[in-house]
Amino acid sequence: MKKISLGIIGLGYVGQIHLRHAQRLANTRVIAVADLSKKALKKAKNSGIKNTFTSYEEMLKLPELDAVIIALPTHLHLKCARDAAEAKKHIFLEKPMARNTQEAKEILSIVQKNNIKLMMGYPLRFNQQFQTLKKKIYDGTLGDIEIAIANYISSGPFFHRAEAHAPMPVPEWWFNKELTGGGALIDLGSHIINLLRWYFGEITDVKSHLGYRFNMPFEDKAVCVAKFENDTTAIINVGWFLQGYQLKIELIGTVNHTTVQHKPSNPISTVIQMLATGTSQFYHAHKAELQYFVNCLIKDKQPTPTGEDGLKDLEAIEKAYKNQISLN
Amino acid sequence: MSLVSLVKIKSETEIKKGIQEALDLIQYSWSTSIENVVIKPNLCYYWDYTTGQTTDPRFIAKLIELIREKVSPNVNISIVESDASAMICKYAFRMLGYEKLAEKYNVKLVNLSEESCNPVQVTVREKVFRFMVPKIILEADLKINVPKIKYTMRGIELTCALKNIYGCNPYPKKFKYHGILAETIVALNKIMRFDLCIIDGYIVSGIHPRKLGLVMAGQDPVAIDAAAAEIAGLNPKKIKYLQLAEKEGIGRISYIPRGVPRNYFKSRYPRKDFKKKLMGKAYAALILTGLGGKLGLQ
Repeated sequence: MKKISLGIIGLGYVGQIHLRHAQRLANTRVIAVADLSKKALKKAKNSGIKNTFTSYEEMLKLPELDAVIIALPTHLHLKCARDAAEAKKHIFLEKPMARNTQEAKEILSIVQKNNIKLMMGYPLRFNQQFQTLKKKIYDGTLGDIEIAIANYISSGPFFHRAEAHAPMPVPEWWFNKELTGGGALIDLGSHIINLLRWYFGEITDVKSHLGYRFNMPFEDKAVCVAKFENDTTAIINVGWFLQGYQLKIELIGTVNHTTVQHKPSNPISTVIQMLATGTSQFYHAHKAELQYFVNCLIKDKQPTPTGEDGLKDLEAIEKAYKNQISLN
Repeated sequence: MSLVSLVKIKSETEIKKGIQEALDLIQYSWSTSIENVVIKPNLCYYWDYTTGQTTDPRFIAKLIELIREKVSPNVNISIVESDASAMICKYAFRMLGYEKLAEKYNVKLVNLSEESCNPVQVTVREKVFRFMVPKIILEADLKINVPKIKYTMRGIELTCALKNIYGCNPYPKKFKYHGILAETIVALNKIMRFDLCIIDGYIVSGIHPRKLGLVMAGQDPVAIDAAAAEIAGLNPKKIKYLQLAEKEGIGRISYIPRGVPRNYFKSRYPRKDFKKKLMGKAYAALILTGLGGKLGLQ
């Protein structure tokens, strides 16, 4: 049976999640990881990864490497994707695709030129609850969806790292808009926009109202109104101001309405799930999307969400940043 | 025995009145010869004041107004905090509303991790500590500690006046002291004695945030912490660092309460219940057994 040899670039918060999952995938061998942190590399080595690199460029020279997961800060996506594509490695790229549409277009062009596969990391599409919602939309159970209300609100990069056993600082790039491309809208809004585009098609118009509770140059709140090509109107609320976590989609159709909320399991169930499967129900979609990516590579199929999806999400986000509504 | 005052305020408009009343109850009188004041709020990570985890900048604003009224309009006021393992001071000042406050009230924001310091040696329980002590603290005429009342990590249980001085240690990677936290807290309080503690208990964290409307004041940080522990449903005589602080002569656990009976606040404080205590012990067990690391906990 064919196995895909995978490398992971970036062992930050999301990179660690991918590493844990990738090591448990069928048809996959994680053969290398790259990160600047020697501590993270040591941890990876202890978990059985043979090749560890402080330079991802060196890692890309491994001839047996088929594909890479790029889980780096957003400003590094373009360069890293270019290097990986030119080394003929397939790419799983964390969202958002890039800081702006110009960079995203460059990534797309490089990927096409090098004839490699690119999949965007949008786990909500692999969450069973949100997949069920898509079925309900298409089987007519809800009628025509007139209004969608989507909330994705958490503490974003400022989550409770201080409560961990060894307190971890928020990586400093998160405080620099030049490096992130924006705030809560590009970070969490990209998830919602991608999911709603999957449900309703392309966005024809979008407007936003942004909030700055934390006095930083990036928004920590965004309320967007978006119109989709199927005539659904969506209200998208995203924020980094909540100590807790809310990810909720409400659909109101002409026949019925429904609400789906993605919640962590209780701590005891989480521990049992982690011990049994290496992932929790909360992160199951992250594992499912990686398995799907690997399966697509084995079958030589183009995985989705594609790079084009990543670009369209950024186009909608840029439009939302441009079309701001001020409220007094 | 030290005096500890407890005052109830109904809204943020009563903060200044509440602080003054709390100070009157402990018979505190302002000296008009004061030139330099240092205020140490409790900034913790990037937690908003609404969480009850960090000192409300509105509380500090009213304290500044009061100092300027009682001491002199020209008194120099510095708000001090330091970098920590998981908090960069400059971002915390900005995100938590202290930059706006400093601009409005013309006070200085000082990151102690960037200040000039004097080396100081101190012994607690035969253990010798060497700290760098910021000169701005050593040279201030009046040092005011404005902490929160919070539950905290294993072995300490409570954060209030004494623990807030931990944040005056300019060394950023404070995590290294977590194994000897009680001794470190006491050592830092031995070398940096604050003149006044005014507790911002308008919003408290407990097991969840709640508007408690408490203003508490005292000059003995051990007595203040003892009162805070009682409000939080803890027995101060069982808290290791309080016992140690008393032994080292920082203050006394016994105190004379003034103002609103502490049971009024105790009955309203969002206290730890059995389930929360059990979860805390389970989490600690996961970390200590190393299983936490395997589950992705740090």
